[in-house]
Amino acid sequence: MQSARDEILGRLKAARKTKPRDMPDVQQSRDPVQGKEEMIRAFTGMLRLETGIVHRVENSSRAKEKLTEIAKEEGLKRVMVSTDDVVAPLDLPAWGNSIGVQVMRSGDFAGRDDYKDAVFDIADAGITGADFAVAESGTLGLILDRDQPRLISLAPILHIAIVPVDRIFSVYEQVMERVFKKDTYPGQFVFITGPSMTGDIQGHLFKGIHGPRKVIVILVG
Amino acid sequence: MKILTDAFNDLARKGVEKARARPFLKTVPHFLYQKREIGLASLPDVAEAHARGAGIRADVLDRLPELLEEFEKNAMANGAKVFWARTAEEANEYIVNLARERGAEFVIKGKSMVTEEIGLNDLLSENGIKPWECDLGEFIIQLMDSTPYHIIVPALNVTVEEIRDLFMAKAGMKEPTLDPVELGYAARLFLREKFHRAEFGVTGVNMAVAETGTIINLENEGNIRFAKSSPRTQVSVMTLEKVVPTMKDAMHIMRLLSRNCSGQKISAYVSMDSGPRKEGEIDGPDELVIVIIDNGRSRIYQDPQARGALRCIRCSACLNVCPVYRQIGGHAYGWIYSGPMGQVLMPPLLGLDRTQDIYRASTLCGACKSVCPAGIDHPGLFLYYRSLDVSADQEFRGKKRPWREALFFKLWALAVKNPWMWNSGISLTRPFINKNSHDGVMRRMTGAFGGWFKTRDLPPVARKTFHEKWKETKKKH
Repeated sequence: MQSARDEILGRLKAARKTKPRDMPDVQQSRDPVQGKEEMIRAFTGMLRLETGIVHRVENSSRAKEKLTEIAKEEGLKRVMVSTDDVVAPLDLPAWGNSIGVQVMRSGDFAGRDDYKDAVFDIADAGITGADFAVAESGTLGLILDRDQPRLISLAPILHIAIVPVDRIFSVYEQVMERVFKKDTYPGQFVFITGPSMTGDIQGHLFKGIHGPRKVIVILVG
Repeated sequence: MKILTDAFNDLARKGVEKARARPFLKTVPHFLYQKREIGLASLPDVAEAHARGAGIRADVLDRLPELLEEFEKNAMANGAKVFWARTAEEANEYIVNLARERGAEFVIKGKSMVTEEIGLNDLLSENGIKPWECDLGEFIIQLMDSTPYHIIVPALNVTVEEIRDLFMAKAGMKEPTLDPVELGYAARLFLREKFHRAEFGVTGVNMAVAETGTIINLENEGNIRFAKSSPRTQVSVMTLEKVVPTMKDAMHIMRLLSRNCSGQKISAYVSMDSGPRKEGEIDGPDELVIVIIDNGRSRIYQDPQARGALRCIRCSACLNVCPVYRQIGGHAYGWIYSGPMGQVLMPPLLGLDRTQDIYRASTLCGACKSVCPAGIDHPGLFLYYRSLDVSADQEFRGKKRPWREALFFKLWALAVKNPWMWNSGISLTRPFINKNSHDGVMRRMTGAFGGWFKTRDLPPVARKTFHEKWKETKKKH
């Protein structure tokens, strides 16, 4: 018997061909922004529209000071942090020790289940870096891998992302070129724009339905 | 799920009469339409952007089999498994068996229209595996044992009072409340435990990128991201036409889909999977299974004109703008798809005989066509389905018309093409027609034409038609 695959493809191929049509190429967004400061401004403005909170600091030691402020304001006791190339050099476990916040990393856990218990039930916040940011819509781009586990930016009620300003791009296409240029693609790549939200109860918009209620971005540089 | 597309008239009447839904119907589609307008304004040229969207979707259909092969090859190279299913039954059986083999006690589901279409939840439940819909709206209608009222806002018609009672009874809510935010948080608490413990996740697919073998999901809540992060097994279900050629095309469709759907520049989350988790990653699925479902699409594809229905990207702009949808709401259409997108998709999927009123319930105003980012000609398709229906089309099961009706329209066509016949026909039938006139309007008629007058009025034939007057005038001078 013919496999479902061959049968379906066979039927599609047997169908009458239509003529390829014109496909105009278009400008991606209104006045794509250029230049570092303009992109930072656009990114910040767009993310604030989605209720994201954006801070800008000069360097990584200032970023840690900002984290301390946020930890106090938000009353953070336990946080889960990624080990990506932005966050790892900050040595957040030492930072946590100095201010009395317990810092957990996925590698601290014996296995997947313990890690899931912690990220779902214990962490007050997830702290991650970001591989990209997009000025077009105030969007973060995260390559999810062993140093950037998927649930850290998703399960806790607060997501804090630390983003070097030179990672901001104008439009999505520039990011996709970089993510999908190599032979092996990331298992998952995600664009995040503001907090988790819904309008499913009578169109009433509210934040934090399943994922973070609040997203705080610290731009560095 | 029971398909009630042949009960359209009764359901539409109920839809109009259902008082509780009316305030939402009067506001939410309009509100979404306004948001869409604002969202689209951020594009440099809306018409051009939509033309490109339509071009991409046309290109997809032109090269559908080749793109599917390319997608499959690349998805498998990324480490995904690909399963093809001819029918809903084949897909359901495969997914249920897989869930059973993996020992899943329950399944978490991201919002997906295709799994509604194939009725996956029923099959899972019958086999003792509890499916949990995790999109808030889908969760509500699952608890109510109902169907989507709107493809994007499925529980649009449900009041806070109903949700309160539902959550108190079935979702472990402790304190009754009417605050939508509090209700949302109750759902968060309840579903969080499901996300946490789940070992089997099912999602739909918004786009499957042929060039990279990547599947893309757009969402605002995060339920789909959970279904793709927490479980050991991820099953992502798509129909044939979800494929797009390149990542660049996908980015363009993403912009159009977000804006046309909810007016957002981009959905809160856009997640893209190229294979399962990699060695050393602590979360994400061990296996990613992509189920590609035909379920009638390859049959629609055989017909170059009906094929246009497969362009749809499920943005719902046509629902929000439709004067019919805005009156009757989503349940009148009798199945899971509603509004103009449902009216173009359901007739060839279910058969023209089972959807008689679906493709006739249109004013042919073309509002749907004017907002469609995929270039679907809805009114053109409605007329096409009607013509297939009256000519008893075999492929889509046209019903043909009773001989008297067929004869009437034959004569009618003859008469309207021939001035002499038309004029003498009018003067001959005038006394019989005008018998039905009361106070200068014909509101109803007895006999064969009664049905037509149920929803329409007509002025009586003039005592003297224009032609008759013209003749008299010419004689006088």
